[in-house]
Amino acid sequence: MLVYIVRRFAGMMVVMLLVAMVVFVIARVVPGDPAAVMLGSAATPEDIAALRGRLGLDEPLLTQFLLYLGQIIRFDLGESIFLNRPVAQALAERSELTGLLTMMSVGIAMLIGVPVGILSAAKRGGLIDQTAVGLAMLAASIPSFWIGLTLIKYLAVDHAWFPVAGYGPPEADLLERMRHLVLPAIALGIPNSALILRFTRTSMLDVMSHDYVRTARAKGLPPLVVVLKHALRNAMIPILTVIGLTTAVMIAGAIVTETVFGLPGVGNLIVSAVLRRDYPVIQGALLVVSAIYVLINLTVDLLYAVVDPRVRY
Amino acid sequence: MTGITRRLFNTALGTTLAAGGLSSGILGTWTTPAQAQQGGASVVTVATIGEPPTLDPVGTTSDLVSIITQHMFETLFTFDGEWKLAPLVASALPQVSADGKTYTIPLRSGVTFHDGSTVTADDVVASLDHWTKASPRGKTVAPLVESIAAKGSDAVVIALKEPFAPLTALLAMNNGAAAIVPKSVIDGPGALKSLIGTGPYKLLEHKPDQYIRLVRHDGYASPTGAPSGYAGSRKAVIGEVRFVPVPNATTRVSGVLAGQYQFADSLPAETLPRIKDAAGVKPVIVKPFGFPLMIMNTKTGVMANQKIRQAVLAALEPNDMLLAGFGDPAFVQAEGSIYAQGTPYYDAASAKPYSDHAAGKAADLLKAAGYKGEPIRIMTSVQYEFLYKMSMVAQAQLEMAGFKVDLQVLDWATLLQRRGDEKAWDAFFTYHTFVPEPSLITVLNPSYPGWWDSPAKREALAAFNREMDPAARKAKWVTLQTLFYSEVPSIKVGDFYNLAASSDKLTGYTPTPWPFFWNTDLKG
Repeated sequence: MLVYIVRRFAGMMVVMLLVAMVVFVIARVVPGDPAAVMLGSAATPEDIAALRGRLGLDEPLLTQFLLYLGQIIRFDLGESIFLNRPVAQALAERSELTGLLTMMSVGIAMLIGVPVGILSAAKRGGLIDQTAVGLAMLAASIPSFWIGLTLIKYLAVDHAWFPVAGYGPPEADLLERMRHLVLPAIALGIPNSALILRFTRTSMLDVMSHDYVRTARAKGLPPLVVVLKHALRNAMIPILTVIGLTTAVMIAGAIVTETVFGLPGVGNLIVSAVLRRDYPVIQGALLVVSAIYVLINLTVDLLYAVVDPRVRY
Repeated sequence: MTGITRRLFNTALGTTLAAGGLSSGILGTWTTPAQAQQGGASVVTVATIGEPPTLDPVGTTSDLVSIITQHMFETLFTFDGEWKLAPLVASALPQVSADGKTYTIPLRSGVTFHDGSTVTADDVVASLDHWTKASPRGKTVAPLVESIAAKGSDAVVIALKEPFAPLTALLAMNNGAAAIVPKSVIDGPGALKSLIGTGPYKLLEHKPDQYIRLVRHDGYASPTGAPSGYAGSRKAVIGEVRFVPVPNATTRVSGVLAGQYQFADSLPAETLPRIKDAAGVKPVIVKPFGFPLMIMNTKTGVMANQKIRQAVLAALEPNDMLLAGFGDPAFVQAEGSIYAQGTPYYDAASAKPYSDHAAGKAADLLKAAGYKGEPIRIMTSVQYEFLYKMSMVAQAQLEMAGFKVDLQVLDWATLLQRRGDEKAWDAFFTYHTFVPEPSLITVLNPSYPGWWDSPAKREALAAFNREMDPAARKAKWVTLQTLFYSEVPSIKVGDFYNLAASSDKLTGYTPTPWPFFWNTDLKG
């Protein structure tokens, strides 16, 4: 297992280097200029050129890239052009929100998706199954921003049960900050619960058609024991995979939800950085998100061995 | 709320979350924002359109930056309710020499910076010197400046090479601002080393994309006189003004309706009925606010032909564009005069071509110009939805008149960059916020993309800038506006107004293009 982990980490370094190169090139190839954005619409080309010089953006691209590579080798993600702080600090400031939002939304998605998926498979073809599959299709089809706006309208504006937006005032404690994340977590969790539900159902149906499940039933075991003990454990690998993928996607993919709820998360940071061409933030954030993505994949692979002893590395 | 009270709901939710593994100790400190506010100084939360690109007011002309930083930084002069010049850090209006070249500016005594130090003439000289190097507005003045020097400890003297009437208005603007800062925070032509000003509020904390907290500057020395616009007495009644970036306009509306924000800026016109009908919230409509512009490339390409630009003017129906952009006629005015009715520089006669749309006129002009069907590359951006909608109407109307249009929809950062390249475009859409001094209108600057710089315009602008007498300046402005409509460097689409919303609890608020929160209070 240790050799496997070391090999995966080496592979991860190569992936990171490729990501760094691709992101750098894409960020610079896309038109747009941080200096022009910073100076406002009344700025003249002379002002913009002067600021570009101060920011080092008039250096040849290769020089800029080599400087950037030198930085990341020293684990330095650079300094944001707009935020007046290092990129690592900007990312750290948003990691609590993004981490909590991801956990809460994945939790909601799992709490809905896994049990309903199991129930749906156990009652295959029946009313419960058809209703669950129908609702899953609906949930997967509704955009999370629409769910978000609806939740804001009824639960925040009409009833004031939850805040409309933001991550709480400066004096808010952890619980208050989490309260600000309840509606966004629901908005993100519902569409993802549909995905988990469908994977759980398919995986369970596949496992339940195997001989050992039939044998278990024939031995007269209670249906609940057959489904949860015999079938579910063996159906977990695809379910874990989809939960892992959902988690990874949510870390940076909650962009629309973060915009609707005015949340200063990592997704929001990346979008703002792209809009204002804050190159160091775009590069640093995407590098970190890619690293997390790869780490989640590694974790999921390792978990396979935990849930299924037949899997060995 | 019926059935379940908010407290009961919060308790139930808190219990649920606590049961999920959170400690009961955390639960014990549960507070809502409103409860938190009651405990300390009053807090006004203002939802803005986004995160400002910087908090240095000198180097940028961004309106969002000025809205926030005008609470922290002050200039020598400002504008009153009638957009007339008024003293701020200065103790009186400047004494101008007979030849219009020397401005002696007396300073108020006892004005302190946020670090507790007292403003000296040396600080003012250093600030103005920095402004001429770092500010887009200051740089326009720099070539005319002979010297900036202290006169004793309580006055400064600006000596110019030639008379330049807009100087005081430039010194009074809150963006690209000639902010008065300690000499020690200035270091070269770049940004300020730290954000210390003389304003009624000082910076407490800035968490990008989350909030900017400004707290009352207890040592603030206010100007005297009745409050009028940005002038007169400034009293920081509110303990903390908190600017929260909320880029989604619908969320800004929802937040102010729910009471989470006490003020929300730049709201879609179509939300006016919701705001009017809601309890505890009132709409704020700001007039004058701004005017959309279609800037044309007078330097290179097909639009360098004046007759073609005149054809564009004849082809466009501004009223259609305004209605497409804003939907509600209450928020727009098809007005050709660059300055709206009721402002000192209003003039309808010289803006007549704005509404002169005789059938076939555009086609005749195009024929006379020798137009051969070259595509007109118009840049627009969906990031300003009203500009995008207007550009769509413009495309249709220009095509009906015989133009071939290549509408390029770009993100705003790309548009800002591309417009600097004279070969990359023929026209682009933007808007201009109201400015009290005509010389501050970007189109008049020959360096501004579009590059309007004909000999007649250069001469008219120089004459306008040299003229010190207000009545004579108006006549010279009319000459400039006449040229604007004959040389057509840009199309003014019309006037539009800004919709904001304010809590009923926020009292003393004065609607202005750049909202400010001194002299306001929070009741209840």
